[in-house]
Amino acid sequence: MSNVDTSKNNAFLIDMTKCTGCRGCQVACKQWNQLEAEETEFFSGEGYQNPPAMSEYTFTRIKFRDYQKNGQNEFAFYKEMCMHCNEPACASVCPVGAFQKTEEGPVIYKADRCIGCRFCMIACPFGVPKYEWSKGLPLVKKCTGCHSRIKEGLEPACATACPTAISYGPRDEMIKLAEQRLARYPDRYINKVYGKEEAGGTTVIYLTSLPFDELGFKAVTLRPLPGYTWQALRLVPGIFLSVGGGLSAFSWITHRRERLKREQQALQNEQDSAEPKEEKE
Amino acid sequence: MTAVRVIASEIKGFHWFIKFMMLLVGIGVVASLLRFVYGLGATTNMNDTYPWGLWISFDVVTAVPLAAGAFTLGAIVHCFGIKKLEPLVRPAIVTGFLGYSLVSIGLLLDLGQPHRGWHVFRYWNVHSPMFEVSMCVAAYTTVLFLEFLSPVCERFGLHLPLRLLRWIEMPLVVAAAAISTLHQSTLGTFFLIAVDKLHNLWYNPLLPLLFWVSAICTGMCIIIIEASACHKWMGQPNEGVLLRTLAKILPWTLGAYIAIRLYSLFVLSDGPFFDNPLLTLSFFLELVVGFILPFIMFTQKSVRDNDRRRVIAACLVVFGLVLNRFNVSMFGMMDPNQIYYPSLIESLVTIGIIAGHILFFVLIARYFPIFEHHPETVDYSLPDSFQKHDGGDKGTKVTEAGRTVKAS
Amino acid sequence: MTNHWIDIQHSDVIMCIGSNPAENHPISFKYVEKAMDDGAKLISVDPRYTRTSSKSDTYAQLRPGTDIAFIGGMINYALQKDQIHKEYVVNYTNAAFLVNEKFDFNEGLFSGYDSDSFRYDKESWTYQIDKDGLPMRDDSLEHPRSVYQLMKKHYSRYTPEKVCEITGTAIQDYMEVVRTFTSTAKAGKVATIMYAMGTTQHTHGTQNVRSYAMLQLLLGNIGLAGGGINALRGESNVQGSTDYAILYHILPGYLKVPTYDNKTLKAYNEKWTPKTNDKQSANWWSNTPKYMTSLLKAYWGDAATAKNDFCYDYLPKRSGNYSFIKLMERLQNGGFEGMVFMGTNPIVGGPDAGSIAKGMDKLKWLVAADLWETESSVFWKRPGVDPKTIDTEVFLLPAASSVEKEGSISNSGRWAQWRYKAVNPPGHAESDAFIIDQWVKNLKKLYAKDGVFPGPITDLDWNYGTGHEPSIDMVARECNGQFTRDTVVKGKSFKKGQQVPSFAYLQDDGSTTSGNWLYCNSYTEKGNMMMRRGQDDPTGMGFYHNWAWCWPVNRRVLYNRASVDLDGKPWNPKKPVISWNKLTRKWEGDVPDGGWVPMNEDGTKSPFIMIPEGYGRLFAAGLADGPLPEHYEPMESPVANLMTRQQSNPAVATPGKINNSGKYPYIGTTYRVSEHWQAGAMTRNLPWLVELVPDMFVEISEEMAEWKGLKNGDMVTITSERGAIEARALVTARIKPLRVSGKMVEQVGLPWHFGFNGLATGGSANTLTTAVGDANTTIPEYKAFLCNIEKGGLKA
Ligand SMILES: Nc1nc2c(c(=O)[nH]1)N[C@H]1C(S)=C(S)[C@@H](COP(=O)(O)OP(=O)(O)OC[C@H]3O[C@@H](n4cnc5c(=O)[nH]c(N)nc54)[C@H](O)[C@@H]3O)O[C@H]1N2
Ligand SMILES: Nc1nc2c(c(=O)[nH]1)N[C@H]1C(S)=C(S)[C@@H](COP(=O)(O)OP(=O)(O)OC[C@H]3O[C@@H](n4cnc5c(=O)[nH]c(N)nc54)[C@H](O)[C@@H]3O)O[C@H]1N2
Ligand code: SF4
Ligand code: SF4
Ligand code: SF4
Ligand code: SF4
Ligand code: SF4
Ligand SMILES: [Mo]
Repeated sequence: MSNVDTSKNNAFLIDMTKCTGCRGCQVACKQWNQLEAEETEFFSGEGYQNPPAMSEYTFTRIKFRDYQKNGQNEFAFYKEMCMHCNEPACASVCPVGAFQKTEEGPVIYKADRCIGCRFCMIACPFGVPKYEWSKGLPLVKKCTGCHSRIKEGLEPACATACPTAISYGPRDEMIKLAEQRLARYPDRYINKVYGKEEAGGTTVIYLTSLPFDELGFKAVTLRPLPGYTWQALRLVPGIFLSVGGGLSAFSWITHRRERLKREQQALQNEQDSAEPKEEKE
Repeated sequence: MTAVRVIASEIKGFHWFIKFMMLLVGIGVVASLLRFVYGLGATTNMNDTYPWGLWISFDVVTAVPLAAGAFTLGAIVHCFGIKKLEPLVRPAIVTGFLGYSLVSIGLLLDLGQPHRGWHVFRYWNVHSPMFEVSMCVAAYTTVLFLEFLSPVCERFGLHLPLRLLRWIEMPLVVAAAAISTLHQSTLGTFFLIAVDKLHNLWYNPLLPLLFWVSAICTGMCIIIIEASACHKWMGQPNEGVLLRTLAKILPWTLGAYIAIRLYSLFVLSDGPFFDNPLLTLSFFLELVVGFILPFIMFTQKSVRDNDRRRVIAACLVVFGLVLNRFNVSMFGMMDPNQIYYPSLIESLVTIGIIAGHILFFVLIARYFPIFEHHPETVDYSLPDSFQKHDGGDKGTKVTEAGRTVKAS
Repeated sequence: MTNHWIDIQHSDVIMCIGSNPAENHPISFKYVEKAMDDGAKLISVDPRYTRTSSKSDTYAQLRPGTDIAFIGGMINYALQKDQIHKEYVVNYTNAAFLVNEKFDFNEGLFSGYDSDSFRYDKESWTYQIDKDGLPMRDDSLEHPRSVYQLMKKHYSRYTPEKVCEITGTAIQDYMEVVRTFTSTAKAGKVATIMYAMGTTQHTHGTQNVRSYAMLQLLLGNIGLAGGGINALRGESNVQGSTDYAILYHILPGYLKVPTYDNKTLKAYNEKWTPKTNDKQSANWWSNTPKYMTSLLKAYWGDAATAKNDFCYDYLPKRSGNYSFIKLMERLQNGGFEGMVFMGTNPIVGGPDAGSIAKGMDKLKWLVAADLWETESSVFWKRPGVDPKTIDTEVFLLPAASSVEKEGSISNSGRWAQWRYKAVNPPGHAESDAFIIDQWVKNLKKLYAKDGVFPGPITDLDWNYGTGHEPSIDMVARECNGQFTRDTVVKGKSFKKGQQVPSFAYLQDDGSTTSGNWLYCNSYTEKGNMMMRRGQDDPTGMGFYHNWAWCWPVNRRVLYNRASVDLDGKPWNPKKPVISWNKLTRKWEGDVPDGGWVPMNEDGTKSPFIMIPEGYGRLFAAGLADGPLPEHYEPMESPVANLMTRQQSNPAVATPGKINNSGKYPYIGTTYRVSEHWQAGAMTRNLPWLVELVPDMFVEISEEMAEWKGLKNGDMVTITSERGAIEARALVTARIKPLRVSGKMVEQVGLPWHFGFNGLATGGSANTLTTAVGDANTTIPEYKAFLCNIEKGGLKA
């Protein structure tokens, strides 16, 4: 749908079997983006999870899962962030085009355009865009994909900070790498590259050893989301023309019929008023 | 000073109900100001899980179809030539104009950056349903404004603009219907993107069509209710005969709606459907009480011809629509772990908007000729035909039925 | 570390025992995972299921303080099943050595014990010596007095059942660990051990480490790529500071601090220079006099002459134990007038911290040089204390952080890497070097005026330029060492003032200086080696010889001559550290541990060059608490020692404030989390980190939570004989009660990062810990003590 060439997209390959939950990424993101810390208490979830959710202050977060399965401990970590979809729903619904997919991969946000309608938040299948609820004139906030870094040849801050789990590079290479790992270590992974097809493909892709739903991954459609609305919206001009044209034609016909009727009636009346005369005559 | 005194004394003379509405509007205005001072987070119960709350669900998604009477009736009267319904048109236009104006206000309150509302016209995104709706709402509000200008001009005896307005009336009506078709349905398109979020009972690809058809049904029902209310409380003549005609159309539109709804549910949607008892209940209330029951009622002549029953049936449809819009935009999108309910301020704003609607309608009806306009006597086909008649001034006019109405 | 971080990638089995690298050494995990990608198995042995455990193939839970039992069982298995690298063991370790007939072990005590002084007379812990003065040996390992047979006998008591009864480990987990780890006895397989504070912070911490080393020697894993025993050092430059003598009993380069009876340099040298009659032993420490003299020359420069024993008299001689715990005891007894805290926060980080804080009340003055206002520098504001009652005058010197100054930092892998100043220090903050420089310069003036015994100060060769900031470059040059006069060493001539090329050129005649012989070679005539950033890796083994510099002499893997067989061929040819090229008659690969020819040729030297006998020590007489590690219970323990009647380490005196009465039924252990740093000043003041771990918490098992009626997040009070703190209960399946000798024992885990000052505050775990230390190092027993838990917060 968009006219951006995504063939050169970069992608994050996040291998959760390699994530140690150190949260260096979480802090690096705050540092690079100069985001305020949230006031937290104890932990907001399993393990050491904090803050409670991604928010206007938190673009990425490690979700902790701390449970037992078949008598074995599971302590799992999953990095949440914007998926930088190939065909982003957020961008497609934004009335002012504040979200844009870039050629480099990240879906960026032009804050100076945004009117704050929050449709992007409704649209994003991953629940990513967050709102500045604390402000009188709020804007949307989300992971920038570190577009500014990428353009300068750096890797995203979180990927740079990550000691183990995040690889960053051209999307096709990342997918190849992911598939190589699946093939090489079939016992280690669930046989799936999450993000390869989800929501029409994303530029954040995951590998894991635990079922995706256990980790709290959302089940999402494989179809690009913009298509869902576009299938209706693309009919707009047609409907406009046909409804407008149809109704015009209709009213032209009714009015014509009426006028004709009226004229005829007038004629008739004339005739009527004339005829009796004649008749009388 | 005198003007103030005049207004004050004028207000003093108002019915207590109007004063009460004014109070509610006042409270609503204060509540809206609080929203800007303290931010959306502090004043509403919206959050990142519920980015859209009462304001979008009611003030926009529901209010728009509730204001659908104007275009429906316009089309029925002017395009399909069912001229006898003409007397209902002006009140419907006023309702529509007020409705859309308030939708715009509601939307602006809800926007994080209301001062940038105009960006929609600057940065087009044709892929955005919101863009489409914004354009339509703006265009349609303009159309309604123009249509509403007629009684205003009549009130002040401005003949020249009146002639102009008369001249463009037909294009306006057609435009109104076309634009409305678009945005009424596009409101449904909004939720097509909420795949995996909106519950299966409501998510289906025909949402836009369903939104449009239900808006048409509701538009007519609102007219029935409005005319009956005006008769009952505002001393307007009983338009029962006209409403009967409307009621005859309704079984067809309702029937169509129900058919599409069932088709979309059973053929186009995937289950599970009945996994959440509350949603199941809401769904049945909406479909059975809100659409099927009134459908059956309207098929009955005894209902159509009886003022009270007809209004009841119409009210059921409105109920069904409101519930449907809430189901789609709010209940069906609920997160299983967190519920949303509107905050006091959100509620006060919405109440203020509803009160504003009633208040302005009553005031407009009080000061402008919206009920006595029965322009069958006007020949629309000729732009200057208005001159031929003595209408336009306030004063008495003769209706088709030969009744005489005094302008208030 | 015998090896280095990058080298971990070469392992076939990685055992993290007493360490949690995923959380505390995150970068190391890059190499752990790299190894795992190549098929390595990861084992995590920890009382708690940690983020490291979550990545492991095998997790074994053990009770805090039972590592010796755990490893003892592995040694037993290896010996019983002959899962050892025989050739390596016979040729490179002292397994074949015969031990003194008088040596004995009985009911938990080795021969020579004196219960009054808690000391061993080590006379019987020796080898049988032949007429040439060489240790007697039996290469068949059959002799009953051979180290091998003694060990076999000693550890035969550590059966899997017995071990698991002590450690509480599930036996199937234990056996999986044992089998996996000992599978590397094969020549082509290597295992590594990554250990840290879970190992060392015990009254028998040194013996824990010993047990790991012995296991690795038996399996032939020391000296090899992907092998060794690797101490994951803590503070970013703690390796450097240890190399440079942060501890009371060592001088730079691990030279011994003279004791009061080493009256002359000669006496010192005699006492501390190890001797051997074995021609095949390099006995590197025989160079002690050269290193000591060069050090004295570096200290006192021209004032140090052969005539005045190179100012040996100026060197303080110790007459006792000045370890941390002892100093703190003295503090509590009013033994100090003033104190200097340079980058330390002991009332959060020290054991039985409440007592330390109380001791500080007696100080007249305190100087704290720190980045932050720490609990220790505002000790007079601590809860429950009226500041008016404390008369201490406190000076807080704002210090520059590591990025605000230049210098070298030595990592765990012994790599000294130069770091440059990135930004200026804020406000009035100054580097530690500046602070010390000013100090010395002013002391010199004061001592020159009317000092008592001013020589050691006034004669100090202290000259690091004239700038505001002392020249760190000059410091680095001095650490390496210079020639003090034109001279010829080993046939090479050197000019006065030239940098000494390596410690092989250091002399005991005053012709060389060296601030630290281990670092001699770090700054040569070619320049500052620590600044190198070459990224070439010709061997593909990750040595990166041109990246920075590592001691000794840029050797990346210690004892690497044990990585080859007697002919100089690598045990593991796929991952050679060094190999002997027969044609060039040279070693290839890493810098060899001495360039001598392979063991099968004449003129060779044994690979363990730092040990006088030249062989890796399975039986080691050097330690205070026995030549073979033996299981003892921690000082505070809920159970009786199942091994012997000797409850706790006999070489450690039982101090006060120990309570084994059952009043405190739960085992407490302290640990770190990724999100905080140490005593917390550096992280509890940073909102981004506070956000992640905002409150003091205690990890408790689901079982305990259930019968105590505790929910996740509830406030609880934890008490011990030493004090009480409150914390939020973190209820988790990651910590579990253990079945120990038939009864269930609960353990609780406490991070020790919290304190009363700063942005995020909370109870200090060290309020609860015991001030009792290891028999050798006196590192406190932070990892095992007894406590109680009650629902509800502290009632003020
Ligand atoms: N994020 C972070 N990293 C750090 C530090 C920090 O404060 N924060 N500190 C640095 C410093 S100075 C150091 S010394 C290192 C320390 O690094 P580590 O030694 O890894 O740190 P700890 O968490 O104290 O202890 C490690 C593990 O030992 C376990 N343990 C406790 N008792 C026993 C036992 O008896 N046997 C065994 N096998 N395990 C036991 C604990 O449960 C814990 O998981 O970390 C360094 N790295
Ligand atoms: N219960 C329990 N207690 C423990 C441990 C445990 O595992 N359990 N571990 C122990 C271990 S291994 C260690 S290493 C100790 C550590 O104990 P400490 O060394 O007392 O603790 P730190 O918090 O590392 O203190 C370092 C201080 O130096 C400051 N600082 C940082 N950089 C600089 C600098 O460049 N110059 C100066 N002047 N100051 C600087 C920091 O702000 C900080 O306040 O704690 C021990 N305490
Ligand atoms: S994850 Fe959501 S916010 Fe991110 S690009 Fe996709 S749709 Fe947009
Ligand atoms: S909130 Fe802003 S970015 Fe999101 S859809 Fe609306 S205008 Fe676009
Ligand atoms: S890509 Fe950048 S903005 Fe996004 S999570 Fe990583 S660091 Fe944060
Ligand atoms: S930095 Fe990497 S390893 Fe650490 S939590 Fe983030 S993704 Fe996981
Ligand atoms: S905090 Fe620093 S020293 Fe520790 S692992 Fe990370 S990079 Fe290495
Ligand atoms: Mo440490």
